[in-house]
Amino acid sequence: MAGKEIVLSVQDLSITYLTRRGRLQAVSHVSFDLHRGETLALIGESGCGKSTLNFGLMRLLPKNANTETGKIVYTDRAGQKIDVLALNTRSLRKFRWSECAMVFQGAQNSLNPVIHVRDMIYDTAKAHGLNNRSEVRERALELFRKVRLDPERVFNSYPHELSGGMRQRVLIALGLLLNPQVVIFDEPTTALDILTQRSILNVLRDLKEELGFSSIFISHDLAVAAEIADTVATMYAGEIVEMGPVNDIFYEPRHAYTLGLMEASPRLSVGREELDGIPGSPPDLVELPTGCKFHIRCPFAIESCKTTQPPLEQASIGHIVACYKSSEVLERGKELRSVSSTARVARLS
Amino acid sequence: MGAIPFRRTDQPVSQPSLWSLSKKLLRSVYRSYIFRVTVQGILTLWVVTTCTFYMIRKMPNNPIEVKIDEFQTKQNLTYEEARSKVAGLFDYDPDAPFIEQYTDYMGNLVQGDLGRSITTGRTPVSQQIAKYLPWTLFAVGLGLLISFVIGMIAGAAMAYWRGTVFDNVMTAFASISYGIPDFVIAFMILLIGGIQLELFQVGDYIGSVDPEIKAGFNPEYIRSLLQHVLLPVTTYVLASVGGWMLTMKSSTISTLGEDYITVAHARGLSQRRILFGYVGRNAMLPLMTRLAISVGFVLSGSIIIEYIFIYPGLGKYLFEMTGKRDYTTIQGIFLVTSAAVVISNILADLLYGVLDPRVRVGSK
Repeated sequence: MAGKEIVLSVQDLSITYLTRRGRLQAVSHVSFDLHRGETLALIGESGCGKSTLNFGLMRLLPKNANTETGKIVYTDRAGQKIDVLALNTRSLRKFRWSECAMVFQGAQNSLNPVIHVRDMIYDTAKAHGLNNRSEVRERALELFRKVRLDPERVFNSYPHELSGGMRQRVLIALGLLLNPQVVIFDEPTTALDILTQRSILNVLRDLKEELGFSSIFISHDLAVAAEIADTVATMYAGEIVEMGPVNDIFYEPRHAYTLGLMEASPRLSVGREELDGIPGSPPDLVELPTGCKFHIRCPFAIESCKTTQPPLEQASIGHIVACYKSSEVLERGKELRSVSSTARVARLS
Repeated sequence: MGAIPFRRTDQPVSQPSLWSLSKKLLRSVYRSYIFRVTVQGILTLWVVTTCTFYMIRKMPNNPIEVKIDEFQTKQNLTYEEARSKVAGLFDYDPDAPFIEQYTDYMGNLVQGDLGRSITTGRTPVSQQIAKYLPWTLFAVGLGLLISFVIGMIAGAAMAYWRGTVFDNVMTAFASISYGIPDFVIAFMILLIGGIQLELFQVGDYIGSVDPEIKAGFNPEYIRSLLQHVLLPVTTYVLASVGGWMLTMKSSTISTLGEDYITVAHARGLSQRRILFGYVGRNAMLPLMTRLAISVGFVLSGSIIIEYIFIYPGLGKYLFEMTGKRDYTTIQGIFLVTSAAVVISNILADLLYGVLDPRVRVGSK
């Protein structure tokens, strides 16, 4: 992706929640660049800060959240740089959806149950100054066709008259209505059955090719991430611990946590019954451990992991990792892969 | 050989007979929503009428005894004297068998006749109800309207700014309003506002209208109407607005937490559109049932409020007639009230379908 222009640049972003127990560090010092047409997949366990990060990017966080440090710079089509965190209410409203849209998880509840799908389309268009209804309608029908829905029927339906997969497609079409440059997909396939999931992924891939938007794709499903992403970032306890091109991450993981995630996913093509999970549970985000946040659960951990935090370092081109034992992890990954290489290839292809 | 036909062509196709057509029609009528709720409603009213018919006659005393008592104490008559006097006044035989009274009453009722009042010179009950009902509709209806609108807006605002001083103050007020019974509020207004602080002349505000002003569509009459309805309405609103506020607040809070509200914000919709089209419309839904019940009970008025402010509504009349054991009148008022509750519930069902497409009635 190097060489392409940067659409969204996040620098040193930290987000905390004020809770009864104290300050909860949901996202800490996250930096990344999203290039034009690139898909960045964020992977990690539940509660690792993926969703908070994305809500933060659109400034949709609840009132008790606080963006402590960092900068979010968005470059629009005219080359104008927009500092998202400095936008006032009015410009923020304009920025949302027309520049950066979001497809939420749980399509069941993302649509207003008491109004027609068409009214949600018109509402969105009207909020951004598009008052010509027939034009908006044409655009919506075209998008519905692209996401493989029966356009006329869906356009005039209520949300409850559509199936889960159909609603997810409606959301995707709604997200693309204003032709945004960046679309955030927050686990768009999580609540769907495997066949619907597959067809949604196909739709997404085609749309991306056709419309050329950049996207951030949140998933805890590695197979999905591997399929859709150009770049993968692993998040743990609110930090990006490893980020790199999709093949690097999946074939040559260098962070113990990434490797653990790989080993924890099931493979259909291999006869082995037992999976290696990662022992323990994610750390308490109110009282974070010192050093590397993963050291408690890490089989590679050494003394220095407990006291000092490993910095993010360049491992290969475009591949960064924050792990003192990255070369051992890499070796171990290779060993494991040689055991089940056929299986993994089958999975990733 | 072609495909086997489903119906052999050598047999004549039978025309649908009149019988099967009417059977079809009957079935569709039976299945229709309106038919079902109408039957249900009529059944409900029959049960209510029967129960009240039995129960009011089981109350101690009867109209004759009450009147005899009254004569005895007021005019210092002996029981016998009073009894003979009363016997000529009333056309009611308390010793008639219950079942006979019941069949008589029901027979008249199915013909649309509510009967005649026992104690007030045999005036038709329907006429009495028509006389008192407008006052109640005006006072309680106005009160309900004001209370509902204020409750909606305040409740939504409390949810929107929850945790702020505004929310805390309003929640405290709402809880107090919810907790204090209406008659206590009525007495407080009269005793503290009218007598202790002398903010107003109590006499000018109780009753129906100033009898010296000619009834009609003129400014003085309307002013007098509003002046006399002010205290009952204020009391009703103060006593009921808290319930609306609290219900609306909790309903709004849960709606605000819904995903589609976050999505609406993400879509860049205007605050106004989100507030009315997304939050308001969804938060209102759970309140519709409650509203329907309240609308139904408008007719029976607020008995004690009307009584305290000497407001000539149906509630006060019911109270008086209960004292006199005027069976037919009590029965008539109960019937009209329950009919109102039944009908407003049906309307609420239909309205709910309009507001919430998910439960649209009649859809399969």
